[in-house]
Amino acid sequence: MTTAALTVYVLMWPALVAVVLFVISRGFFREWAQARRDGRDLI
Amino acid sequence: MGGLETAQFSALVVVGLLVFFYGGTFLLSTRIGKKEENADGYMTAGNNIGFGISAASMTATWIWASSMYASATSGYTYGISGPIHYGLWGALMILFIYPFGKRIRAVAPKAHTLAEVMYARHGRSSQLMLAGSNIVGSLISLMSNFIAGGVLISMLSPFTFTQGVFAVAAGVLLYTLWSGFRASVLTDFVQVVAMLGAVAVIVPFVFVAADFPAAFETGAGNLTAEQGDFFSSTAFMEQGAPYIAAVLAYAIGNQTIAQRLFAVKESLIKPTFLTATVGYGAMVIGVGMLGVLALYLGYEPVGGDVNNIIPGMAAEYLPPVLLAVFFIMIVGALSSTADSDLAALSSIMMADVYGQNVAGKEKANPRTMLLVGRITMVVATAAAVAFASLQLDILDLLVFVGALWGALVFPVLASFYWDKVTGKAFTTSVVTALAVFLPVRFGWIPVDGIFGVVVDVLSVVGIGVVLGLMVFGFFGARAAKIVGVAAVVVSAPFAVGSLHEYATLCGSLVAYSVSTVVCWAMSARRREGFDFALIAQRTGDFDDGDSAVVAGAGAVTPAADGDPEPAGTGTK
Repeated sequence: MTTAALTVYVLMWPALVAVVLFVISRGFFREWAQARRDGRDLI
Repeated sequence: MGGLETAQFSALVVVGLLVFFYGGTFLLSTRIGKKEENADGYMTAGNNIGFGISAASMTATWIWASSMYASATSGYTYGISGPIHYGLWGALMILFIYPFGKRIRAVAPKAHTLAEVMYARHGRSSQLMLAGSNIVGSLISLMSNFIAGGVLISMLSPFTFTQGVFAVAAGVLLYTLWSGFRASVLTDFVQVVAMLGAVAVIVPFVFVAADFPAAFETGAGNLTAEQGDFFSSTAFMEQGAPYIAAVLAYAIGNQTIAQRLFAVKESLIKPTFLTATVGYGAMVIGVGMLGVLALYLGYEPVGGDVNNIIPGMAAEYLPPVLLAVFFIMIVGALSSTADSDLAALSSIMMADVYGQNVAGKEKANPRTMLLVGRITMVVATAAAVAFASLQLDILDLLVFVGALWGALVFPVLASFYWDKVTGKAFTTSVVTALAVFLPVRFGWIPVDGIFGVVVDVLSVVGIGVVLGLMVFGFFGARAAKIVGVAAVVVSAPFAVGSLHEYATLCGSLVAYSVSTVVCWAMSARRREGFDFALIAQRTGDFDDGDSAVVAGAGAVTPAADGDPEPAGTGTK
């Protein structure tokens, strides 16, 4: 593998982690807001 | 490279970090605590959790301290493909169970544990076999996470290993004890944010601080040809293949996954488990890249112990603030898994032992049930702390237990789809598979003669079973049979005559094949079938208090093992 390919290969995982973190956080806060609007417990 | 020796925190800083983490987590759990907890809520949180919390919880639960250490070790040992061969297959454990989870949830929408469903399907012995294996797995996991906490604290502070173990155990028990599974999944969200956020920052920081990408060229000489090969056969055979064989076994043998399958809103099972698959894979492979970087740098772990690679790299290249973030990341990883293990153990003791076998479904007292759950958590924590002092080789234990779980996979999964599987077939197939697995795994019988060929043939059948079951979940029986047979035909010429040299892999494959063949042979000729509608009647809520739905009034006792009643006729 070239140096450029290795760089992409190593750094793509933390980038993917950041994407998942965004997706999960967005889901959580949407549900939290919805639960507050409905006046019920989140869990 | 004296990073670890020079990067120790003071006692005050470590106490501050632990109080910050466990104190904050405890305060969060008090926000949802109720004076009178609901027994079913304590086990599955009302079967209606949303996507954000459940995806976070599944991700956090599956990521534990050992998975980070092992991924980095794999990268350091096998080179650039090493973390893939650890993290990818671990991630697929989450992915491949979700289609089965949808079926399990359809037949038992209000169950709490897989073993509870086995009781409804077959009776007591199959239930206790599965519950027993779940308990062993969770206790090993709990012990492992306490050990990881003790090692981390003793490595980065003046405190001893034992003091570290006690601190972690007390912290986890503190926030999990009162609200059980509800506290576990809510705090998982905060823990997963801490873990994922830390990895997203720490890995790129180390990459730059260690002078990469230039070090890829200057350090290339530190890799063997095999370590530099992305398609390394050594990495696949020694790290990847045994994990592929364990993909379904871990998912079936681990109550923490089943608990989340029953807890998440039924329509959200797929997005939840897909997200957790990507989250787990990216996180664990990402941390494993620290092992690859260490290999390029020619890094020598302290004391030659590969478990010191991650802490050593962190201590070497991170400033104090990020080292504190790293500390919280590891503590978050081990705590999120440990609290899930406690919740899993308590639900097994509540639903399977007390609810189904001691009091009986209709006479179970929800207050007593909650007491059983909390006592279980305290006893399990004490047992795990005691075992932690032995410092056993956890990964060896888990590979062994994972292979044992392999014996359960076909009988458990078939019981949800095939109406002819009986309790007797379930029990006999599992016991027979274990009887064959043990001599293969530990080399009790020499494999250089005819027995070696027998092991190879059984292992090849096991390959077909593993791949067939994986395909079955997504594409059904026809595709599964085609893939299973094709896998046997393709692998046989390469495997027969040589596969028995890989005892760990063969042991696992033999467990799959023997249990499948025996279970199928004992079930195929039966004319009577089981009515799956009975499972929903026999499982369900124990507590008709706040937010619980009363189970079907017609809850009944299953027929004796191996003697299910004909379809549609109810109980005898």
